[in-house]
This record gives sequence, C-alpha cells and structure tokens, in this order.
Amino acid sequence: MSNLKKSPWIIHYDGSSCNGCDIEVLACLMPVYDVERFGVVNTGNPKHADIFLVTGAVNEQNKEIIQNIYNQMPDPKVVVAIGACAGTGGIFSECYNVTGGIDKVIPVDVFVPGCAARPEAIIDGVVKALDVLEEKNKRLRAMSTGLASMSIERAEPKDLKEILALQKTAFQSEAEIYNDFSIAPLNQSLDELTADFKDKIFLKAVIDGTIIGSVRAEVKANRCFIGRLIVDPHFQNFGVGTRLMHAIEEACGDVGAYELHTGHKSKRNLFFYKKLGYKKFKSLKISESITRIFLEKNRR
Amino acid sequence: MNLLIIIISYIVCAPFIGGLLAGIDRKITARMQARVGPPVLQPFFDVMKLLLKENLVVRRSQNFYIWFYLFFIIFTGVLFFTGEDLLLSIFALTLAEIFFVLGAYKTSSPYSFLGAQRELFQIMAYEPMILLSIIGMYMVTGSFYIFDIVRFHKPLVFFLPGLCAGVVYILAIKFRKSPFDLSMSHHAHQELVRGITTEFSGRTLAMIEVAHWYEYTVILGFVYLFFAANPGVGILSVLVVFFLQILIDNVFARVKWQLTIQSSWLVALTAGLGNLIVLYFVRK
Amino acid sequence: MPRIPLMNILWARAFCRKCNTAGRGLCTYRKIFMNCIVFLIAIPCVAAFFLLFLRCSILRGAIVFFTSFLVCCASIFLLVTQFNREISYFDFVLPGISSAMTVIKVALAAYIFFIGIKHKNFVISGLIALQVILFLSFEYTHGHALVVAHNLFIDKFSVIMVMIVGIIGSLIAVFSLGYMRDFHEQYHKEIKDNRGLFFFLIFVFLSAMFGIVCSNNLLWVYFFWEITTVCSFLLIRYKQTDESVRNALFALKMNLFGGVAFIAAIWLLYQSTGTIELDKLILHGGGIALLPVVLLGFAGLTKSAQMPFSSWLTGAMVAPTPVSALLHSSTMVNAGVYLILRFAGVFQVRLAGFMLGIIGGVTFLIASFIAITQSDAKKVLAYSTIANLGLVVLCGGIGTYEAVWAGILLIIFHAIAKGLLFLCVGIIEHKIHSRDIEDMSGLIITMPKISIMLQLGMAGMFLAPFGMLISKWAVLKALVDFNPVLAVFIVFGGTATLFFWVKWMGRLLIVSGEPRDLEKNISLTEWIPLSGLALLTLGICALFPVVSSTMIEPYVREIYGVSIAMSRGNIVIMSIMLGLVMLFPLSFINYGKNVKVVDAYLGGANATPGTSFFGPGGKMTAMETRNYYLTDYLNEKRLLEFGAVLCLVLIAFMFIVSYW
Repeated sequence: MSNLKKSPWIIHYDGSSCNGCDIEVLACLMPVYDVERFGVVNTGNPKHADIFLVTGAVNEQNKEIIQNIYNQMPDPKVVVAIGACAGTGGIFSECYNVTGGIDKVIPVDVFVPGCAARPEAIIDGVVKALDVLEEKNKRLRAMSTGLASMSIERAEPKDLKEILALQKTAFQSEAEIYNDFSIAPLNQSLDELTADFKDKIFLKAVIDGTIIGSVRAEVKANRCFIGRLIVDPHFQNFGVGTRLMHAIEEACGDVGAYELHTGHKSKRNLFFYKKLGYKKFKSLKISESITRIFLEKNRR
Repeated sequence: MNLLIIIISYIVCAPFIGGLLAGIDRKITARMQARVGPPVLQPFFDVMKLLLKENLVVRRSQNFYIWFYLFFIIFTGVLFFTGEDLLLSIFALTLAEIFFVLGAYKTSSPYSFLGAQRELFQIMAYEPMILLSIIGMYMVTGSFYIFDIVRFHKPLVFFLPGLCAGVVYILAIKFRKSPFDLSMSHHAHQELVRGITTEFSGRTLAMIEVAHWYEYTVILGFVYLFFAANPGVGILSVLVVFFLQILIDNVFARVKWQLTIQSSWLVALTAGLGNLIVLYFVRK
Repeated sequence: MPRIPLMNILWARAFCRKCNTAGRGLCTYRKIFMNCIVFLIAIPCVAAFFLLFLRCSILRGAIVFFTSFLVCCASIFLLVTQFNREISYFDFVLPGISSAMTVIKVALAAYIFFIGIKHKNFVISGLIALQVILFLSFEYTHGHALVVAHNLFIDKFSVIMVMIVGIIGSLIAVFSLGYMRDFHEQYHKEIKDNRGLFFFLIFVFLSAMFGIVCSNNLLWVYFFWEITTVCSFLLIRYKQTDESVRNALFALKMNLFGGVAFIAAIWLLYQSTGTIELDKLILHGGGIALLPVVLLGFAGLTKSAQMPFSSWLTGAMVAPTPVSALLHSSTMVNAGVYLILRFAGVFQVRLAGFMLGIIGGVTFLIASFIAITQSDAKKVLAYSTIANLGLVVLCGGIGTYEAVWAGILLIIFHAIAKGLLFLCVGIIEHKIHSRDIEDMSGLIITMPKISIMLQLGMAGMFLAPFGMLISKWAVLKALVDFNPVLAVFIVFGGTATLFFWVKWMGRLLIVSGEPRDLEKNISLTEWIPLSGLALLTLGICALFPVVSSTMIEPYVREIYGVSIAMSRGNIVIMSIMLGLVMLFPLSFINYGKNVKVVDAYLGGANATPGTSFFGPGGKMTAMETRNYYLTDYLNEKRLLEFGAVLCLVLIAFMFIVSYW
C-alpha cells in the first residue's frame, strides 16, 4: 500500500446541505468510527488535503468557492460527493436556486449515496476514493517520468476530440485572467475544429498514448500563422510548449516569418514568446477587456 | 573524525526519533480519547505522502525560507549535540524560527500572517525562560558549553528547581501543543485554518514537519540537561516530561496569546528569576 | 620637518621605538599623527564655511565629495598607523586657541540665550546663563594656573570612534547631497532652501565630533560638546515649522542640562585632583571623587537620550533623515556613551556606577517595549536607538572589562546598522510618501534593492550571527559574570526587540497588488552611501574577530590589565552561520521552478485578481492585514512616564550615593 493510501488528509466542505451529512462525516472522526486509525486527518486547508469531501448541493453562491477550493488542492487529488444532495441535488434538486450535484462544477470520483449518508458508507466511499487516488498518482508519476519519452507527431482526425477537451482545460486560465469565459478557444465546437483540421497543420505532443499538448498553424502568403498552443496544466513548465513551437515552426516549411497573437494581460505567454524570439508588432482591441497583441519572428 | 560521526549520526537519526515521538504522541492522545488511533509510524507515512504531492505556492520565493528553516534547525541540533556553546545554539534556533516566520509572512495570506504573528508571540513567551535557565546553568557549572554542563557531577535540577519547573511550563509553547498551540496545530485542532503552515504544501510541508522533529530532539535535549548527571534518570525524566505534555495537551483548551505571554513571563519572573536570585545569594 | 616617504610613515612604529615607549614626546612621526588629528578637526570646519556661502550645487557637491573623501582617508590613515601603537598624547600648542574657544563659547551662549528669550523658554536662557557663569568663573579663577600637558590624544577607542564618525559621517554627508536636492525640489517645495546652512552645520558637527573623541583636555571636550548641542538644535529646526522649532527647543533644553552638569564636573574635578586631563583622571581610577564623574555620567545620559531625557530624541525625528541618521543614531548620541565608557573604570564596583547601569538597563527595557507600539518607522528607529544606547550605558555603569568590551562592540555595530536603516527609511519616505510601516507592503517587489538593504540593517540589529546579536551576547556574558540578576534586562528587552524587527521585516515581504518600479530616480550620491553602509554591515560582522582582537581587546587590556579572548570555536561557528545566511540570495536561482502558483486560501472566496475576495453581499473586497502594535497593553505615554519617574529616582539616588 503506497503512502498516499496510508495518509489520506481530507478537506470537508458543505455546499448547501441541511448539515445531516456533515454530522455523519464528523461522526466518522469521533471515537466510535475513528477514521484517524487509517491516518485520516481533517485538515481545513485545501493545500494540505488529498480528498475533498463535499456535502450539499451546488448553488450560485458556492459554485466558485467549490472550484477555488478544488483548484487550490495539490495533485493528486480526489473528490468524494457525500449524500444525495452532493450527488444530484437530492431533495432540493428542483429548487430555483440549486444548480445540482457537485459534478456540475468539478470532476467527482466517488458518489456516496444516502440521506443522510451513514458513517459506514462514508468510510466505504473514502476507501474507494483512496484506490482512485492511487490510480491517479500512478498515472501522474508515469506521465512525469514519461516526459522524457514524449513524442511530437502530426495529429489525426481521431485525436480531435481529445485535443478539444485539452483546449478547453488549458484555456481556462486565460479566461480567468480576463474574466471572460466567452473567448473563442473555450467555445469552439467539434465541427469547427474538424473544419479547421482541413486547412491547418495540427501537431500533438504524446506521452504513453495520452495527448498532453497541441498546436496548429496555417501557412498563408509566405507567413506561418501559429495558434492554439495548448499544454495540459499538469505538464506546464516542463518545456513541452517550447518543443511544440520548435516542431511547428519546422513543420511550416519554407516561410518568411511566423506570426501569432495573445492577450495583452497574458504576461506569461508574452514572456514565453519573447524568449523564443518573437517581437510585438501590432495590437488590436477586440473587446472591452481584451487587447490582442500580435507577435512575429522572421525565419532565418 | 569522532565529531563527524556524531554529526552524521545526529542528522540521520534525529528525524526518526522525532517522528517516533510524534507518532507516540498521536497514539497516546487517541487512547486517552477512547479511540484506537493511527499506527505509531503514521508521521512517517504522512511525510512520505507529502513528498508525492504537488508543490503549490502563493509567492514563488516562499519555499526558500523553509529550506533555510530546516537547514538552521539541523544546524542547531548539530551544535547542541556536539556539545557546543548553549547560547549560540539557542541563537541559531531563534534564527531558524525567524526564517519560518518570514516564510509565512512572504505567502501574503491572512491566515499565514496571523499564524506568523502568533508564532512571534510564542517566541516572545518562551525565550526569556530559556535564556534565564541557561544563565542558571552557567551559574552552577561555570560554563556555557553543553559539553561541560552535561559532565557536571550533580544533577542541575537540585540547584535549579524553579528554572526546571519554568522550562517544563513553557515546553508546551515550544512543542506547539495545547494550551499554547497558537500559531499552528498538528492534527485537526484548527483555529486559523492551519495557521503559519497554511500556504505550504507538498514537499515544503514535509520539510516543515521534519524540521519540527529535529526541534523535538533539541527541546528534549534541553530538558535532559537538567538531569544529565545520571543518563538513565535523564532519559526517564525526558520521557516523563513528554508524557506530561501529551496529558496537558489533551486536558486543556487553547488559550489566547495574551494569557500565553502573561503566564510565561510571570513564571519566568517568579520561578525563574527567583531561582536565580536565591542561587546568587547562596553563592555569595 | 624633514621629508618623510609615505612608506616610512606606515612603518612608523618600527622607527618610533627609539622615541620613548610611553608614547609621549614629539618625534617627527608623531607630529604627523597629531597633524592628522588637527586636520580631521580643522578640514571639515573649513569646508563648512565654504559651504555656508556657496549657492551653486555643483560646487557644493564637489566640495562635499572632496571633503568627505579626505576625511575618510584621514580616518583610515589614523587607523592603519595607530592600530598597533600604544596611546599617544600630543601637546597641541597653538597660541590663542583657548581664548578663541572662550570667545566662540560666549558668542554661542549669547545666541542661545537670545533664542531662549525669543521663544519665551526661560529654562533655556537660565541654563545657558548658568553654564556661562560657571565657565567664565572657572576660566577666571583657574585659567592662568591651569597647565595642560597634552590637549590631544589618540588611543584605540578614539580610533574606533574616529572611524565611525569619519566613515559613516562622510557617507551620510554624501547621501545628503542627493537627498536634500530631492527634498527641496520635489517633496517639500514649501520649505525654504537653506542647504548652505545645512551642509555647514553637518561639517561643523563632524569637526566637533572629532574634537570630542580626540581631546584629552576636558575643557576642549566640553567646548566641542556644546558645539554639537548647538548644531543639533539648528539642524532639528531646519524645516522651520512650528513642530520643528518646538522639538528643537526641547532638545536644546535637555542637552543644556547635560552641559551644566559637565562644567560643574570640570570645576569639581579640578578642585579635587588639580587636573582636567582625561588620561590623568582615569589613572586615578577609583581614587578620584565620585561626584564629578557622576555628573559627567549625567551629561552623557542627556546627550544619549536616556530616560528621563529620551523624548528629545523621538522629537528630533522631525528633522530631515540625514540629520536623524548622522546625529541621532550614529554619532552625536554616541558621544554621551563614549564619555561614560571612558570612565567605566571609575564606575566599576561603585554603587553609583551600578545605579547608572540600572538606568541604562531600564531605558533599554522600556524603550524596546515602546518601540513595539510604534508604526512610524522613524519613531521605531529612534526608540531602538535609545534602547541600544541604554545597553551601552549599562555596560559603562557596570564597568568590568567584559562589559567595556561588549559596550564598544555595541557602539560599532549599532552605528553602522542604524545609519543604514535611517538612510533607507529616508529614501522610502521620499518614494512612497509615507513613513508608516503598514504602508511598506510589497516593498520587496517595488524597491528590491532598498528593501534588501533595509532587511540587512534590521538583521544587523537583532539576528544571529549579525553584529548586534554578537554584542548582546557579549553584554549577556558580561552581566552574568557581574550579577546574573541584571540579565533580566537583556532577556526581556531582547525578545521585545525581536518582535518589532521581525514584524517590520515581514511587512516588507507581503505582496499584494501590481508591481511597480519605485527605484528609478535614486541618485548615485544616494546609492553609494547605501551600498557602502550595507557592505560595512556585512563586513564588520565578518571581520569582528579581527576588530576585537586588534582594537578593542588591546584597549581593554590597557585599562584593566586583562581582557577577553573570544573562543575560537565560537568564532568559527559564527562565521559559518554568516556564510550560510548569505547564501540566501542564491536560492533565487531556482525561482519559480517546480512550483505551481495558486491563490492564497481565503475560504474559497477568492476573486481575481490576487488577494481580493468576495465579501459580504458578494462585493469584491481587498484583503488587508495589519500587524499587532499592542497599543492596548503598552501605552507609550504611561511607559515613558513610568520610566522617567523610575530613572529620576535612580539618578537622585546615584547623586546621593556619590556624594558620600
């Protein structure tokens, strides 16, 4: 049994429940059920936690909170939705203010049914979650050691679905910077992507059969327009982006210059492109909050 | 050569001893609460797990302070167990604590901030007592060197009973246990979320935990100095004092920082200073 | 005087063995040293007069640079040639110099008298009148009979003080060029530009300080002492606002008390021993009458702003920052403790000395606690200065060889670190328009170099293995050997100092909001002294064993016949610690690698950007934090009152005991 299973730390959040499930969760920590004998500690801090125990349904007020707490947890992490409300909205699912179960806002790994869920069921759920946690950890380890074995290839039509999902995940942080979730990358449909595939060169970065990055480019009038450089958030800062850029620049063939664009507040992207030799030459205001900065690099 | 062996064996063994103590603490606490409790080796599982986790930060330079915290705690331990100047060891310990506090400030988060301030209060509370006991030891043995203090022919506790009692009182502050677990709390006794350690995760949190284990060895070593004349009695007293801390931890609730400082200074001024004054006049 | 090659001067010791090992008499080499001292006293004065009348800032800058450079060189020259010599005495004879001093003295007294009348502060007029009467009557009755063999002298302690005044003083003078230019042209256009007077006073003050530490003739020390009082008054008053004038008058009043005590002491000393030369007086050791020495100690207490006189120093913070740095932390206040340390041998084993020490200890304790409650950066620095001077007074009062060693060490480290701190705070005040610590958030990002120097200065004040920690350790050891119960001052005061410094350091590190660059437009004249002082802070910590063994220990041995030897093991360990702490900046090589940045935990209610959160009603609120100032528990006014009463009682007791 790995150490992750021997020392699961939990953070407990109550969405909008009647507190019944919460009391049952607390009961688990008390002498009769005593989950501490498994090493479970109720830390109240997402940064210290492995398992996110959520009770209660999601409503407008706590949607962001649940997402924030989830984002502030370090990988590998699992989510356990406890009780009927956390699963589907329970008895309140048709209320005007209730959005639904937890899986509407974050990915859930284990659902523990019940109203209120009994402590034995909760412990059962946590143990199952530990197995999922173990799985995720293995995948994470494999992936990060697998970076050495990363390969960059031309994408195929069957990869488009995966690339689209990755695109939506990777552009989340961009959307957050501008507080605008209507940006094009987040709202592109699969058909549009397939249409794009015909005109553009698509590259994918693969480790162990899983796509962790992608980039596309179009050659027009002796210029190569590069766009939608995406890297799975777990694999950022490992040089994947740089390798993809080099690869796409090569794949474009004999062109005079390369061009791309990003938002004016995307400091990290700007820094990244500057490091690769791109220089700003134009800026265009495309909406209230976003000014697009265009960068180019001449081919030597 | 001998010195090198001592240093290396300390650096390697101390975390195990500290971790075992932490594990025994949790087990005894659980049994006192009529629970089964985690296995005694649980702290080691915790640290190993933390090493597997992603390292999240709020500010990119916050982890550097923790590296230096760990490093200087080890440095203190090495100074202490190689018999060097006791004052210098305590100053090195203070330096390490300051790095910890600054790291928490650096994270620019409100819970860390409050935790850091409370940690400063804790340092303010226990430092006078520790310094007064070191002065007491100097008065009795004539030397600040641990090497000499340990070899003194009589147990220091006979000359310094007040100071010893004072040190046992502030031990809870140094161990960060109830009733003085102001800045952070092990396990689930939250008040400021996780206090000073709130914004550290993964490997850095593991380093903090290991640093605390080293600190346990230094603190208990300090208590041992009072009973050093007879090693068996010394170790037994250390274990008794540790058990006493666990008992107090489970019996008392957390107090406010005002009470922490007021009571420790009161103890320092009465038991501690009183002891020193009596000693001064007896010696004359 | 024959021409002497420079190299030979530096090896003068070898040649001077011929001449008289007691160090008296005047061979050619020693004439050079004496001339050096005279040079140090005279040159800043001459430069000052030039600066008074110059309007052109380029010429002013050139003269300031040139003079500062000369002063630095002369101080270092004195160090290099003196560090292995014994005490040297010089009979500096210049016809008419004592009459000139008398004339200047009376003229200054008349000016102060007039100031007192003008501001209806009759205490001032009364005090100065009393001083003048005492002085003139002394001159009249004993002037002709007075025979002074040696007016000037130089020993290792003087050399240390010369170095402090020379190097730190010159660096601060250079700093003032850029600082005062910004002060008048950008930040305080409403204040009349009187920079000529400003620099005049700074340089006259430097002359006077050199005079104090190199004079063997107590009347001369008194003369220079009074000049520093007047300089301090005029410099505090520089801004000419009501507040400045009020505080300047208060400072003048407090220092005049000291002046009266000084001249009274000279009277009594002459009457009981027939001499007013420092060396002869100290030779008498415990034999001389205690009362005049206690009077001198009292004068030192006023000059060094100990309780109950401490308010003048905190009030003096209205002056421009270079004044605070130079006068009120690094040099002038050191004159008071210098005098006390000189007479430490007399204070040893005397109850009066013990009382003096307790006054210092009480000041240290109370000032440290008051500093916790202050959020104005300059006030914090002022109280910290008072506290540290209290420690030095404690050492002087105890008077054992260990204590004197510790005291000198304290003076050195404190002067450097405090100078650096004040200069940094001055620049920060200009750039962020505030002196409040709580406004200094994020300074590590907006002004990285300055805040690093600030943190270096702060570390130098309380952190191992830096300077002040070493000195506090030395004081602790000295106290423990003398009377361990006294250690309670250091033990409790020390933890208080730790609290307020770390609070401030932490505040600099907290970042919220957009980074801006506030460090442009800091002139070279400001960077050079800052970097110089920062390097000195580090250097003197690294080199302190050398300083101790070559300068301080020999001095202590000369007076007491025995001295401390710092254990080699500890020195090695401390150097290791210093080296390791200095590695901290290296950690930035790994900046941002292998970490993922997320928001702080705010209960999940994080809003973008950064440290805002959704507060009540969903309103985006910025997160603010504020340090503890403990104002509910520590009341500045009440603590000051308590300290004043206690110390007044102690002073009264001290005088009573010394009279018997």
